Amino acid sequence: MSPRHSFFNRCLMAIPLLLLLPLLTFWLMHLMPGNYFDQLRLNPQISRATVEQYEKLYHLNEPVLIQYVYWLKQLARLDFGYSFAYKQPVLDILVSRLGNTVLLTGFSFAWAWILAVFLGLLAARYPRSIFNRLLDGIAYAALSMPNFFLCLILLHLAAAWGGLPLGGMRSVDYEALSASGKVLDILSHLAIPSFVLGIGIFSFLFRLMRAQAQEVYERDFVLYLRAWRIPGYKILFKHVARNAINPLITLLGMQLPALVSGAALVEIFTGWPGLGQVMLQAVRAQDLFLVMGNMVMVSALLVLGNFLSDILLVIVDPRIRSGKGGAS
Amino acid sequence: MCAPIASFAAQSDFFDGTLVLPIATEPKTFNVLVAQETSSTEVAQYLFEGLTEFNPKTGAVLPDLAASWHHSPDGLVWTFRLRKGVRWSDGSPFTAQDVAFTFEQVIFNPAIPNGARDIFTIQGKPVTLNVLDDDTVEFHLPAPFAPFLFSLTQPIIPKHILEKAVHDGTFSSAWGLGEDPARIVGTGPFRLAKVLPGERVELVRNPYYWRMGHDRRPLPRLDRIILMIIPSQENQLLRFLDGETDLFVMRGSDYPVLKPLEKERNFKIHRTGASLGSSFVALNQQAKEPWKKKWFQNRDFRRALSHGLDRASMADIVFNRFAVKQCSPLSPSVPFFYNDETPCYDHDPGTAKMILTEVVGFQDKDKDGILEDEEGHPLEIVLMTNTEDPARLQLAQMIREDWRRIGIRVHLQPLEFNALVSKLTVTHDWDAVVMGLTGSVDPHFGANVWLSSGNLHFWNPGGGNATYIETKVDDLFGKAAVTLDRNKRKEYYDEWQRIEGEELPLIPTVLPEVLYAVRDRFAPLTPTALGGPFYPIEEVETKRS
Repeated sequence: MSPRHSFFNRCLMAIPLLLLLPLLTFWLMHLMPGNYFDQLRLNPQISRATVEQYEKLYHLNEPVLIQYVYWLKQLARLDFGYSFAYKQPVLDILVSRLGNTVLLTGFSFAWAWILAVFLGLLAARYPRSIFNRLLDGIAYAALSMPNFFLCLILLHLAAAWGGLPLGGMRSVDYEALSASGKVLDILSHLAIPSFVLGIGIFSFLFRLMRAQAQEVYERDFVLYLRAWRIPGYKILFKHVARNAINPLITLLGMQLPALVSGAALVEIFTGWPGLGQVMLQAVRAQDLFLVMGNMVMVSALLVLGNFLSDILLVIVDPRIRSGKGGAS
Repeated sequence: MCAPIASFAAQSDFFDGTLVLPIATEPKTFNVLVAQETSSTEVAQYLFEGLTEFNPKTGAVLPDLAASWHHSPDGLVWTFRLRKGVRWSDGSPFTAQDVAFTFEQVIFNPAIPNGARDIFTIQGKPVTLNVLDDDTVEFHLPAPFAPFLFSLTQPIIPKHILEKAVHDGTFSSAWGLGEDPARIVGTGPFRLAKVLPGERVELVRNPYYWRMGHDRRPLPRLDRIILMIIPSQENQLLRFLDGETDLFVMRGSDYPVLKPLEKERNFKIHRTGASLGSSFVALNQQAKEPWKKKWFQNRDFRRALSHGLDRASMADIVFNRFAVKQCSPLSPSVPFFYNDETPCYDHDPGTAKMILTEVVGFQDKDKDGILEDEEGHPLEIVLMTNTEDPARLQLAQMIREDWRRIGIRVHLQPLEFNALVSKLTVTHDWDAVVMGLTGSVDPHFGANVWLSSGNLHFWNPGGGNATYIETKVDDLFGKAAVTLDRNKRKEYYDEWQRIEGEELPLIPTVLPEVLYAVRDRFAPLTPTALGGPFYPIEEVETKRS
């Protein structure tokens, strides 16, 4: 199968995915009883006619399928509709939070990935060291602890010991700080949430990377390279790394959607001004179009992420480019 | 929790003249006319003003943008003289045209759905207005309307900024979070300086604010209010203790944690009394099963159930003692209109059981501890409540136990809020519900609940089945709405509260107290449950240390 052929195949497969995921979400949202405007119904100062006027405005009085068609028509014009609560275009709301979320998740992913690959390789090289056992313990603990719980513990520790901010993204007096002070301020606010987010990813990837690298280490070509007196670090970071990293790259693409949606809980507990807060409120209040807009964005990122990981794989592993499989 | 070695929140000059408030959810819009949730209206109180102002301590309606007013003897024509020299926060003069714009082009604009229109629609007809000159407006009412002055606390919005949006049909989405703060213009003590979505909203003092202090110094005293968006209550507490924020709205359960820290962390706890609103159990007087309908329509049955409730334990367990027993449909915090002689029901399971067996006619024939009615139907009730509020869920559990003791089997059914609303107002498929309703300081705005034809009269809906007593309530509300004499109105509403206390269509439970922990660098502070911790905000200043 040529890469080009596979590329077009992927494109074709993406279309039903992009249509079906929103339909599913739309349907699930309608399984919940009532709609956004029900909260007005129990307000003694608002008449039924007013609530009905709102419902009519957004076609909420029509059958689900008709509503879905209205929504698709809008989407075809790249119009994500308006949020009921914010009364603003959905796209504006998503974009205004996206940056903050990506800063948090991007930072967490980055350190987790780099450390996981690096330490995973080292641990595979020295499997009997204390260093390996220590990391094993950390990874085990991190994987078994729910991250909201870790988050609360860290916040309480920070409150008791001081030194780190207890939430938010910037200090109250951020504007009064110097340029370097501002960077430090944001970094210090990143510390707790990004540690909580990153440690889980790190633990998972670290164990994966180590297992992969150990397996590669046992292959004949490593022995061959050693016989050629290639230095150990070069074997490790060049040859073993490139052979062991493929599954991680596939995962990288699949984690792209998590870049925008994976941090909700941590965002809420630390008051990080990202998408998580908005989406939780939107789902709870049944702010339909806002939820749908987010869904479209996440599914688009999923498709895009898979593309990107395929492309990355081709770059990293020449065997895929040539279409030849098997061990080298 | 150990004492902090170093607090991250630095105490610098920056905080002089700055009030930092936490809010759980961010404001969704600054468009106060279309805003629906408290997160948005909370911010609006700093930015906008109405013709009149409500004093939460005395319950009096005071002049605000209107300096004075008078009305015709029949109460149909009200003339307001506007305050001279008032400017919008962008410096433009405030005139009668702005008042006319707010009412004629926005509130009564059929294309703009808004809640204010319902308030100013009296007996189905809109209030109209005439601009006599730049400083005088005249309102024409279709019928006398007693809460009219109070209703005029309705914020006035600037014509010169928003008229274009009305003409373009984009008014409802105008003044969103992404709007340039300089274009969000009000006459309130503060104006919008900056919005960081999901993070914070910064307000600075409005340099054009008209009000002067008693010492002729300009108001407001504070330079800046920063509203920090902190969704988790847990996190709000930590950041308050750390000194980052100046206010923490407490739950009763926080009291034992916070009280010992008052001195060390420089704050003071203020108990301000019962919250506004109501908390009750309602019984469906139009229940689907005919025998249940018969039970629930029986006043003695409802009285027995009220005697069965152990409200003291509810206050103790659910709110850590920080709650008051509710008797009247109004909260005791409602100034002036609250009737403290409304009949109350003590916890008395003996009397409750006696009423059920001897007055209503229930008996426990099969000796299973559950009473049966004359036709043999066991006394079983499905009690619903919404899942979102843990306190309410806990109340419902206690009610189940209380009623179990007087021979009633209660099945608890927690539902999502929207599902509950649809059962109450659309399908009418329910037995009993633990609920709360938001209150207003003028009882008239409960009319939707209490009038037999009101669309929130959910325990006996439709108006067609109104009982004799209910028509009496309709009559009292009708009279009170058109009576301008405040004392006379109070008599009507006292009578109404007495009737509801006797009839118990809604069986009141307990109302939580409002507790504020406030950093002690602000003065003067006179917190009330109605006016919040900082009313009047323009007088509050930071103490120089």
